[in-house]
Amino acid sequence: MLRTYEGIRFFSDKQMVILDIGSAYTKFGYAGEPTPRGIIRTEIKCPDTKKLRRIYDYKDTEDLYQLLVEFLHALFFKHVVISPKDARIVILESLLVPTQFRDTLAKVLFRHFEIGSLMLLSTHLATISTLGVNSALVLDIGYKEATLIPIYEGEPILKAWQALPLGGQVVHELVKCFIFNWCFINSYFFNRYLMKSLREIYPNVDITEKLVEDIKVRTCFVTTLERSAKLGTADAPKPPPAIKYPGVKSINIPGEIREEAFEVLWERDNDNLSIPTMILNAIIQCPIDTRRTLAENILLIGGTAMAKGFASRLKSELLTLVKSSHYSEKLKIQTFMFHTAPSKPNYTAWLGGAIFGSVDLPLRCLTKENYLKSDRVPDWVSLIDNQRDESTVCET
Amino acid sequence: MSYLNQPDYVCYVCNCGSLKPISKIYFCRHCSKIRCGYCVCQEVDSHYCPNCMENLPSSEVRLKKNKCSNCFKCPCCFQTLSTRAGHVPLRVVPADGEDSKDVKTTPKKVYYLSCSLCRWTSRDAGIPDQSMATGGWPEQENPHTSRINTLIDYHKILASIEKQQSERKKFRPKHPYMQIAMFRITSAMVRKHIGHPAKPTNESTDQPSPAVASTEVEELPTDIFTKPVEITKITTLEQRLQQPDVQTENVNELRPQHRQLLVRRSQRCRVCEHNLCKPDFCSQSAKFKIQLAAFYHVPEVRIVTCEPLRPGKSSELLLKFCNPTQHQTQVVLLPLDTPMTPILTLVDEKEEVKQDNAQQGSESPNLLPSIVRQVPVVEETKPIKITANADVVLPQNCLILPRRDDAAEYDDTGDTHNFQDDPKFVIWRKGNKAVIKLHVTPHENIEENNNQPVVIGFVMQYRYVNTITTLEHKAPQKLDLKVKLYLTIGNIVGSA
Repeated sequence: MLRTYEGIRFFSDKQMVILDIGSAYTKFGYAGEPTPRGIIRTEIKCPDTKKLRRIYDYKDTEDLYQLLVEFLHALFFKHVVISPKDARIVILESLLVPTQFRDTLAKVLFRHFEIGSLMLLSTHLATISTLGVNSALVLDIGYKEATLIPIYEGEPILKAWQALPLGGQVVHELVKCFIFNWCFINSYFFNRYLMKSLREIYPNVDITEKLVEDIKVRTCFVTTLERSAKLGTADAPKPPPAIKYPGVKSINIPGEIREEAFEVLWERDNDNLSIPTMILNAIIQCPIDTRRTLAENILLIGGTAMAKGFASRLKSELLTLVKSSHYSEKLKIQTFMFHTAPSKPNYTAWLGGAIFGSVDLPLRCLTKENYLKSDRVPDWVSLIDNQRDESTVCET
Repeated sequence: MSYLNQPDYVCYVCNCGSLKPISKIYFCRHCSKIRCGYCVCQEVDSHYCPNCMENLPSSEVRLKKNKCSNCFKCPCCFQTLSTRAGHVPLRVVPADGEDSKDVKTTPKKVYYLSCSLCRWTSRDAGIPDQSMATGGWPEQENPHTSRINTLIDYHKILASIEKQQSERKKFRPKHPYMQIAMFRITSAMVRKHIGHPAKPTNESTDQPSPAVASTEVEELPTDIFTKPVEITKITTLEQRLQQPDVQTENVNELRPQHRQLLVRRSQRCRVCEHNLCKPDFCSQSAKFKIQLAAFYHVPEVRIVTCEPLRPGKSSELLLKFCNPTQHQTQVVLLPLDTPMTPILTLVDEKEEVKQDNAQQGSESPNLLPSIVRQVPVVEETKPIKITANADVVLPQNCLILPRRDDAAEYDDTGDTHNFQDDPKFVIWRKGNKAVIKLHVTPHENIEENNNQPVVIGFVMQYRYVNTITTLEHKAPQKLDLKVKLYLTIGNIVGSA
């Protein structure tokens, strides 16, 4: 009886819009649906310069405001197709998002688009609602950075957060660098491969970000740990076959690029950090009782985690690292288990928001009236909002 | 057309601070103010399919997930697919064996989808042909739908528990026993309240089976190091993102997608909530039900010619003014620092003016009563980024422009109007248009090389006759309105 009534109300009510504005791609759709309506690039034509610009490459608050106005306008009327006025919107954001971005986004939504209510959900926390479990170690590997926040019994363990600037962007840089420096171009004059820099042969060929991304997605993969150890040494394994990439000038992509493009994610930086150490360091920083649960509930999300062979490489790296002298003393965990969400990793966070947004939680929403009254967005870092007050804070 | 293709030479400053050409601004007749796409409230008016132009009501749009049920787009190149009729393909015939003769004698028409741009067909993808032209094409289903629905139901229960808890918290301090009767608490809550443990069975049935993590992960295929790859068989990221739930890697597994609907927008003034622009409901029609474009209400300014500009030297600038309204107007050019409040003049009853000014300040009296209206959300006005870098000598006398007369356009007999124009100021006049001459002196510090255009600015005050009758105003009002203009008149030629 209750179900049918709720169904009717849900239908007559305004649908909740779920937006996950990632640094490379924006996922959008409606609450309660299993798939996003679409995934588009987070970029917009700048009205002044008529050039495509990424939203996250903003210069200052004013610039960001204008970019967001243009981007959200296109999003609302071309893609989501909803009147933004009085709409109910859920935005997925990382707990580590800059306050500047967060505040400007809320200002654009409330002041320019006059939306009805806004719910800001933490990406990592909302993601676990796709699993039906309460504890998970959520690693989000996106375009700009990889962020990790462990969730235990529905509470984010914030002190164990990890973030590294590893993601699609560094892989793109590497592929671009490879292609520029020693790309094989099929020459019509010599009918053989010339090993020369692309820039030398065809200075006009434009290696755009889009082309690099396409090369990465279609040809590159994450190689195994055994092969990776031998790369660059004398007994390097035979590289995978090269691929002739079609285009105005066909580019030959050597096997080395295909295999080594993702290696940058696994190399240790100056602080001896990489993606697998993020997981281990986070587990070490968590209370000892939670460690086993977290290690056995790892969830990978984000577009870069969809690279071929990523999960298996991560697993073998973790198993090797845990035996190393640095970790074997501190960490007694031998098994790592991975979850599979009922979605593709690049929109898992969106799905978490869609599940969370389908329920009616007026207490957790920031309404237009409240925003206009206080002119600020509640934030966990602010002590005004983050205090123990039985009457206002509602804990689950 | 020139407004669409050319850079914006003449820009009007909207009340929100945006600089827009006259083709892109609105004029709200109720507030007597200029509005633009940035400061109006945009709404989705009607949905239509860009291919078959079918109009759909919004309830149906929601059911169909904002997609046209008849039109498909190519999964490879995203063009619209066309339905092709063909006979039963030959390869079916041998499979049927002895039935082959029957097929030949009664050729059945079958339909398949085909892309005329990239030559993709539904046969390539292995989708069976349909016997009906309208479709029945297999729909893609997300394989995880049922699991996600259980999760959603579970979260709804969690939310209702949270709601009950917060309600209990709210009312507990006052009358601990009253609430049972008042707020119809579920039996579970009563049990908890009086100390009985909650029924454990209830929870376990609602809780969906949690996802099980495994040590096994998807391994890299071993043949990836040896197998040669055909790049054209691998989908691009764009193709994958068109089908987010599958994101297949193999080109053959791409499925045609329903075409997304487009919308027509209507614009509404944020202050008075009147429509500024409302398109016709019929998707084939390019007309508007309401169209309050500034082009029909505000005098248009065009640059005719300008003498070569030299820093510190005076040059002649010819501007053409055009009155688009049905009433005679008079235009006065004022310096940039003039206050922008409109002046209400020539209203019949003098008292009313005082009353209005006292009550509403600069607001127009044509607004709806404030009880009906929502409190408008104020957005900060944008700072004007352009600065004038040339001085302009503005004339003291006003320019009278007669009303627009469509018939006069074809009348070559000459001007019937008899205006006492200063020949030094007005140099040409025909119908509702007039050309005036101004003197421009670019600032000394502009140099030729740095490609900085010369910009002049002034405030144009024009008389506007508002024909909208309201309860208070039966007679048409005459208003002197002001708008700020910035004109990019050219580059510096040579030095001083």
